[in-house]
Amino acid sequence: MISVWHYLAVAAVLFALGLIGFLTRRNLITMFLSAELMLQGVVLNLLAFSRFHANLSGQAFALFVVTVAACEAGIAMALFIVLYRRNKSLDASVWQSNREAGVPSSVDADALPTVAAEGADDPKLQPAGAKPQEPARV
Amino acid sequence: MSLFAAMQTGNPLGQLATAVVLGALAIYWLLPKPRGRSIAIGTFAAIASAVVLVSWVVRRFGDPAPDLVGNILFWLFSAGAIGFGTIFVSQRNPGRGAIAFAFVILSVCGLFLLLAAPFLMAATIVIYAGAIIVTFLFVLMLSHADGPTDENDRTREPMLGSLAGFAFLGLVLFALYQSSPAAAIDTNEAEYVLPARPVSGEERAALLEIAEQLSEVTKLQDKDAILEKTKLMRDRIAEIVGVPPTSVDAVAVPSRRKSIPDRLALLTDPRSLATKKLGEEIRQMNVKAFNALENNLLSKANPSANDIQKSTEALPALREKLIYLAGRGELPARNVANIGYVLYSEYLLAVEMAGTILLVATIGTVAIATRKRISA
Repeated sequence: MISVWHYLAVAAVLFALGLIGFLTRRNLITMFLSAELMLQGVVLNLLAFSRFHANLSGQAFALFVVTVAACEAGIAMALFIVLYRRNKSLDASVWQSNREAGVPSSVDADALPTVAAEGADDPKLQPAGAKPQEPARV
Repeated sequence: MSLFAAMQTGNPLGQLATAVVLGALAIYWLLPKPRGRSIAIGTFAAIASAVVLVSWVVRRFGDPAPDLVGNILFWLFSAGAIGFGTIFVSQRNPGRGAIAFAFVILSVCGLFLLLAAPFLMAATIVIYAGAIIVTFLFVLMLSHADGPTDENDRTREPMLGSLAGFAFLGLVLFALYQSSPAAAIDTNEAEYVLPARPVSGEERAALLEIAEQLSEVTKLQDKDAILEKTKLMRDRIAEIVGVPPTSVDAVAVPSRRKSIPDRLALLTDPRSLATKKLGEEIRQMNVKAFNALENNLLSKANPSANDIQKSTEALPALREKLIYLAGRGELPARNVANIGYVLYSEYLLAVEMAGTILLVATIGTVAIATRKRISA
């Protein structure tokens, strides 16, 4: 029999995944979606307790969580646009010059793997035969 | 209760005949022949026949696994949510990450449906479908497709980050275990500490079963049969709702769990008060009804029909109250109507505030994203 604790465990896993994503990822959009993943875990908690106590308070509260998530999405996207205009990058670490005094800066030690430019590996065909003469255009 | 067990219309013989006729017609339509073959109708008839047949088997021979469908759906949706969540967090490409996130939302919405929240399921799908399409547009607009980039191919402190996340998860799950009835059983504590639900699933099932038996008892005309049927009923009801404090057997029923009114003793919201009152009424009615039954039947060697009728006349009212109490453990069936009622009565102020927050957020979004022209 599936009890309320099963749902709480699933919600806890979702929240932990969102937490890891928010702490470690550097793309602003991925960080934003990770925060949404944490909110989904919270909503699942609220609905499980709503079912457990057989009243609708949890479902009403979940609606407000969805409302706040919508506000968050709007503001976050507007901020991303402004940040992108300044630095042409979605990397959160670009803004580390704003960190607190005394905190060491994070330095990327490993170089990124280089990918050959597109078309570099394409086979070269030897030209065969005489080049056709183009008729003169008048 | 499974879907098939819920289909309890018509008499079983007619149901079996329907299944057989439908099955024969299905195969007739499906068999190859030059004229009159229809795969569509045949398939439809075959499915209908299978549904009716499974429903008949479940009704006649019993459900092989109660709530099998619910269990499978729960494991499917939770595995989907966690699996796609892992893919989303570890995905390099933000566009693919957004698609994995969409599948997380779909799985979580399945769990919402299992938790009896159909309105929130629909609302979440609609809202997040829009949100994810917008996110997707942003990904397409803002990311560069040429080669690895700092934001997608680097991780900030991967070891510390995942350790922190899983340490958090372990602590939360351990705290959950400590508050669960499983821990109370393992450590032999009397009661678990989580505020209890009004009527648990087991109590609900027991109450409905007793109500069913009570309706059978009122039809019986024989003294021995009635006594046989009602032998344990009084104690079973007392185990759920407890016994009145003034009763002689106030300590006679030892129970590891607290009864429903005792569990709700500290709660003061109207619903809990009403449930508690109902439980206490059933306590009194339980004692009175079964005392009357024993007084009328046990004192006489050959009770008359009048005695038998008098002995069971309090039982229908008791049965009705038991069904009311069983219903107290479930969410109301009309989800949308009841959420609307709750939002616009109990949470009216919160709804107004949510609307205000949305308005402020819209204005803030426009204000932040406007490109400011620096005049030369």
